[in-house]
Amino acid sequence: MEPKSHLHKVLSSGQFAVTAEIGPPRNADPEVIRKKARLLKGYVDAVNITDCQTAIVRVSSIASAVLVMSEGLEPVAQMTCRDRNRIGIQADLLGASALGIRNLLCLTGDHPKFGNHPMAKPVFDLDSIQLLKLVSDLEEGRFANGEEINGKKPVFFRGAAENPFAEPYDFRAYRLAKKIKAGAQFIQTQIIYNVERFRKFMEECERLGLLDKVYILAGITPPKSLGMAKYMKHHVPGLEVPDEIIKRLESAKDVREEGINIAVEIIERVREIPGVRGVHIMAIEWEEAVPEIVKRAGLYPRPAYEDISYPFVVEKVVEKVVEKVVEKPVEVVVEKVVEKPVEVIVEKVIEKPVYMSIDEAISELEEGMARGEIPFETLVEILASLKAGLKQIRSGIESVEETMRLLEEEFIKKPKGSPATPITKKEEIKKEEPKPAKFLEEKVIEVSAPSVEVKEEKPEVEPKVEVKPEVKPEVKVEEKVEAKPEVPPEEKPEVKPVEKPEEKHEIKPEVKVEEEKPAPKVEAKAEGRAEVKVGGFKGVYRPISERAKLVPPDSYLEKATGEIKEVVIGRNGKSIKVGGAKGLNFHYFEGEFKNPVRIAFEVLDVKPEDWPESLAKYYSDVWHDPALWAKKCVEEYSAETVCIYLQGTDPNGLNLPASHAVEVVKKVKEAIDVPLIVWGSGNAEKDVEVLREVAEVVGDRGAVIGPVVEANYRTLGATAMGYGLPVIASSPIDVNLAKQLNILLENIGVSLDKILMDPSIGALGYGIEYTYSVMERIRLAALFGQDTKLACPFICSIGKEVWKTKEASMPTDEVFGEQEERGVLMEAITGVALAIAGGDLLIMRHPLAVKLCYTLFNALSEGLQSSV
Amino acid sequence: MGEGIKLAILCCNYTNLAEREDLYEVPARLEIKRFPCGGHIEITDILRAFREGAEGVCVCACEQGTCHNGKGNERAEKKVVGARAILQEIGISPEWLSFYYVPRLDAEAFVEDVKAFFSKVLKEKVEERGK
Amino acid sequence: MIIAERRPIPEILENIAPYSRVLVLGCRGCVAVCSAGGDREVAILAEAIRLAREREGKPIEVIERTFMRQCDPEYLEPLNELLPQVEAIVSLACGVGVNLIADLYPSARVYPGVDTSFYGANVALGKWVEKCRGCGDCIIDKTAGLCPIARCAKNLLNGPCGGSQGGRCEVRKDMPCVWHMIIERLKERGELERLLEITPPKDWRPAGGDGLRIRVRPDLA
Repeated sequence: MEPKSHLHKVLSSGQFAVTAEIGPPRNADPEVIRKKARLLKGYVDAVNITDCQTAIVRVSSIASAVLVMSEGLEPVAQMTCRDRNRIGIQADLLGASALGIRNLLCLTGDHPKFGNHPMAKPVFDLDSIQLLKLVSDLEEGRFANGEEINGKKPVFFRGAAENPFAEPYDFRAYRLAKKIKAGAQFIQTQIIYNVERFRKFMEECERLGLLDKVYILAGITPPKSLGMAKYMKHHVPGLEVPDEIIKRLESAKDVREEGINIAVEIIERVREIPGVRGVHIMAIEWEEAVPEIVKRAGLYPRPAYEDISYPFVVEKVVEKVVEKVVEKPVEVVVEKVVEKPVEVIVEKVIEKPVYMSIDEAISELEEGMARGEIPFETLVEILASLKAGLKQIRSGIESVEETMRLLEEEFIKKPKGSPATPITKKEEIKKEEPKPAKFLEEKVIEVSAPSVEVKEEKPEVEPKVEVKPEVKPEVKVEEKVEAKPEVPPEEKPEVKPVEKPEEKHEIKPEVKVEEEKPAPKVEAKAEGRAEVKVGGFKGVYRPISERAKLVPPDSYLEKATGEIKEVVIGRNGKSIKVGGAKGLNFHYFEGEFKNPVRIAFEVLDVKPEDWPESLAKYYSDVWHDPALWAKKCVEEYSAETVCIYLQGTDPNGLNLPASHAVEVVKKVKEAIDVPLIVWGSGNAEKDVEVLREVAEVVGDRGAVIGPVVEANYRTLGATAMGYGLPVIASSPIDVNLAKQLNILLENIGVSLDKILMDPSIGALGYGIEYTYSVMERIRLAALFGQDTKLACPFICSIGKEVWKTKEASMPTDEVFGEQEERGVLMEAITGVALAIAGGDLLIMRHPLAVKLCYTLFNALSEGLQSSV
Repeated sequence: MGEGIKLAILCCNYTNLAEREDLYEVPARLEIKRFPCGGHIEITDILRAFREGAEGVCVCACEQGTCHNGKGNERAEKKVVGARAILQEIGISPEWLSFYYVPRLDAEAFVEDVKAFFSKVLKEKVEERGK
Repeated sequence: MIIAERRPIPEILENIAPYSRVLVLGCRGCVAVCSAGGDREVAILAEAIRLAREREGKPIEVIERTFMRQCDPEYLEPLNELLPQVEAIVSLACGVGVNLIADLYPSARVYPGVDTSFYGANVALGKWVEKCRGCGDCIIDKTAGLCPIARCAKNLLNGPCGGSQGGRCEVRKDMPCVWHMIIERLKERGELERLLEITPPKDWRPAGGDGLRIRVRPDLA
C-alpha cells in the first residue's frame, strides 16, 4: 500500500488544509516553476499545477509537478479531457504515478475556443466524471477497457472541481454526488465571492449526505486589481462577483492590500460553513500574495512535512542533483580555476548576481561550502556559465552601444564616437534659441503663455549652448543659414493673451519685441481688453529636400498628373486669380503653384442679428451699411476680395426682394474696387430670381455668383454665362455629386475654368474631418486620377459655418476660455485645415483669424521661394 | 465622363412608368428590363445583366407595403444581397449593384434614384481609376 | 437533412481554370432543400462562372443539369451521355454525390461546388441548425430527445459543465446549453434520477472511429 499523500494526511487528520495553484510558464524554463514553488513552500500543503489552463499551451502539468517536487513541495497534478483521448490519459496517469505524483485533480477542461489554439480539434473523449471513474478503476487494477493491470497500479488522491455558481444551481450538488460516486475524494470549488450562494450549495450537499464522503476545499482568489475583479464579474462564466467587492476595491487606497483583505475575510467566513475542510487559494499571477493571506488567515504554520519519498524525483534526481550542486569539493575548484581562496571568489561573485539561476547556484554553493564539499565538475560548470553569461552581457552592451551610435549618426548628426545626447534635451535647447526665425516643426499657434521658463540645462549641454548661441547646438551646419533672424517680428503669428507677459521676457527675445510694438491696428481698435493678438511665426522653414535628406526624393515626391483650373475673379485690372495648383496645397516641392490660398472677407447685406461680441466689436460700427463695411474690410484689413452674403433675401428669413440685393451689391461695388463674390441665400428658387438681377449689376466688374445647385444650375448657369461670370457650384459634401454638378454645368456650356466648387464645409467640431476627407478625395482625383471634371478650385465658406456654432459665441468661462480667442482659433483652424485639404478661396469673418491664416500661409509659401 | 457607362435597370413592371426620355439627364446608356414583379427578379438575371455589358445594375422594386404580390419587393432586395456576395467573390465591386424601393407611378423619384445610382457608379469608376 | 453551403466561387474557378466546357450538376435531394445545390443554385453558379470567365477573357461553356439525386447510381446514368461533352464537373451535391461520381466515373474530373457541413433542421427561413452528429449510437432516449453529442461543445455525457450560465453555453452565447435543457425537461417529467447515474465513456466506433461505416440489410441486399 502506497503511503497517503501529504494533502490526504492533512485532510484525513482533520486539519484545515491549504492548497494553492501554480500556472506553468509558456516556455521551457524550469526556473519559473521552481521559483513559484519556493515562494509557496511551507505555506501550503500542496499546490495544484494547471493543465494548460484556459486552453493555452504551457509546460505540462506532470512535468511541472516533478519540478515542484524537486523543490520539496507536494503537487496536485491536473488532468483535463480536452487534449487526450483515453489512451493518452491513461498513459500519462501511469507516468504521473510512476514519477511519484500522488494528488490528481480531474477536470473536463476549458474549451479550446478560449485559448491560443482555437483551431485545434477538441478531444473530449471523456468528461470529468468519466475520468474520475477511470482513475478509480486504474487504482483497482483495471484499464478503461476492463483489461487488468499486471504489476504496480497507479495511486492517486483523487480530486474534482465543482462550480456552485453555475446553472442550473439545483443540479450542482447532484452533480457533485455523481463525482463522489465516480471516485472523487476531495473537491476544490470555483472561486467564491458570493459566500451566501456557496453556503446554500453546502447546505444542499449536507442534505444529500455528501459532506462525510468528500473533503471540500473552498476556492479563494484575492482580486489583484479592480480591473481583474470587473473582468471576473463580467467575463468569466460561472463566477459571481458581488458589487460590494467591486465597491470595496474602487474605494480602496491600496487595491492589492484590499484584495488580500477580501481573500482573508472570505476564508474566515467559509471556514465557519460546516463541511469546508480547507481552502484552495488561486492567486492568479500573484503567487506572492499566498503567504501573506495564509498568515493573516491564521493558517500558518502548516502541519509539518514528513519525509515523503518521491520514487523518481527525490531519490534519484533531486537529491543527487541538489546534493551535487550544493556539496563537494570546493577546494579543487579553487586550486584549478582561480588559484585563490574559495571564500573570496564566492563573495565576489555573490556581490554581483548575474543570472537568476547562477545566483541561485552560488547561494547553494555557499551553503554547501559551509557544510563541506562541492563537486569539482559542478563548480567548473557554474563558473563557466558565469563567464559565458558575462560575455553575453558584454556583447549585449556592445551592440546597444553600436545601435545608439548609429541612431545618433542618423538623427543627431554627430561625428562618430562622441557620446549620445538624449533627444529630449535637444528640444529644450531649441526653446532657448534667441532667433525669431521660422521653424515649420514648431507649434505655430500658442494660445496661452505657459511653461516657457528657462529650464535648468544639464551641465554637459550648457557649454555647447554658450559657444554658439545662435545655432542649434546639435543641428547640421546648413541650418545656420536659415537660422538668421530675417523675419520681422510682427509677422510672427502667436495668439497670446497678455495675461502674464513677464513670464516670457527672459527666454524669448521675440516676445519682448512684440510687446514693444504691439502690432496690427486691429488690436488697437479692440475696445476694453486687448486680449487677442496675432503674434509672429516662430520657426524656420526647412526645405523637404533637406529634412528628408536621408531618403531618395523619388520615395516621397509624387508629381501630380493633373492641374487645377485657374479661375479669374473680377475684371478691369483689379482681378484676382484662384487655383492653378499642380500639386496638393503647400506641397511646393511637388509642383508649380500659380496662386496662394486667398481669403475673402464676408459682408452681410443686412445687419447681423446673431453675431457674438467678438465679431461685433470689429464690425458693429459699420454693419448697418454694407458699403462702409466692405470699405473697412478693404482699407483697414486689406481684404483682397469681399464676399457679399445676401442673407436678407432668404425666404425663410427677412425675404427681402431682389431689388434690395441689387442695391446692396451696387453700393458695395461702388465703395470698393476689389473683386466681388456674391453669395445668395441658398434657397435655390430665390437665388435664381435674386442673382439674375445682381449679375446684371456686377456685370461690368465681374464677380463670382452662387451658390449654384443641382436644382437651379440651368438658369443660374445660363445667367453666369450670359455675363461671363464664374459660378460657385455648391454640392452637399460628396465627391460624386460635386462631379455631377460640374458635368451638368459643363453640359450647358459653363466651362470648367468658370467654376469654383463649394463642397459645403463643416466647421471645427462640426464635421470638419468629413469635409476634409471629401475635399482631399476630390483633389486627389483631380490631380492624380486624371479626373478633369473635378479640377476646379475650392471655395470654402468658413466664417458662416464657424460663427454659427455655439462654441464660437459662448461667453468667456473657465472651461472654454476666452470667447474671442476661442472664436478666432476655431475660424483659423478651420481655415487652415481646409486650405491644407485643398481650399483655394476661403470666406472668413474675423480679421484676426484672417490674419492668423495669412501669416501661416505666407510663412509656408516663403518655403516656396526658399525650398524647391 | 458618364457617356460611355452602360447601366441596366431591372424593375417591377408596376414600379414606374418612366421611359427613356424621362431619364435624359442621366448621361449613360440605359437598358430597362421590366419584370412582372420584383419578386421575379432572380440573381441570375442580375448576373446576366452584368454579363451583357452593364457596368452598373440597378434593381428597383415597389415601396414597402405596395407590392401587388405581397412581398415581391422584399424578395428583390434579398436577391440583391445574394447577388452582391457573388459579385464580390468574382471580383466585381458590389457597389455596382444597387437596390431602390421606388414609389409607384412616381417617375420623378425613379429618375432621382437612377441618377443617384449613376453617380455611385461614377464614383466607383473614379475610385477604380484612382487605384 | 444534410446541410451544405456554396463553396467560395474563386476556389471553384481555380479548380476549373484549365477547362472551357464544364457541367454544373445539381441535386434535388437535401442540398436542394437547403438551397445549396438545387436548380436555382445551379443556374446562379453557372451564370457567375460565365460572368467571371468572360471578365477574365476566357469564356467558358457551362452546361446546367440537376439530377433527382446524386447518391444513387441509377440517377447518375445520364452522365454517360454528358461526360463526353464536358471536361469537368462541378457537383453541387453533398460530398456523397461527389464521391459516388468519382467512384463510378473514374475518368470524370469532378469538383465539389458546396461544402458539406452537418445534419441539421431548417428552423427558420434561411437558417439551419445542427441537431445530430451521426455518431451511430443514439443516446437521446436518456436525454429527453436532445443530443449532447451534437449540441454540447464538449460532447459531455455527464453534463453540464461549470460554464453553463443563464441557460447558455460559455463557448458561444448564441448556443443554448443543451444540458441545461435536458435537466429542465427531465425535471418537469420527474425523471431527473436518470441523470444521477454515471453515463460511461462512449464507444466511438459507430461514430466512424472504426473506418468506413457500412450498413447492409440482408433482407434487401
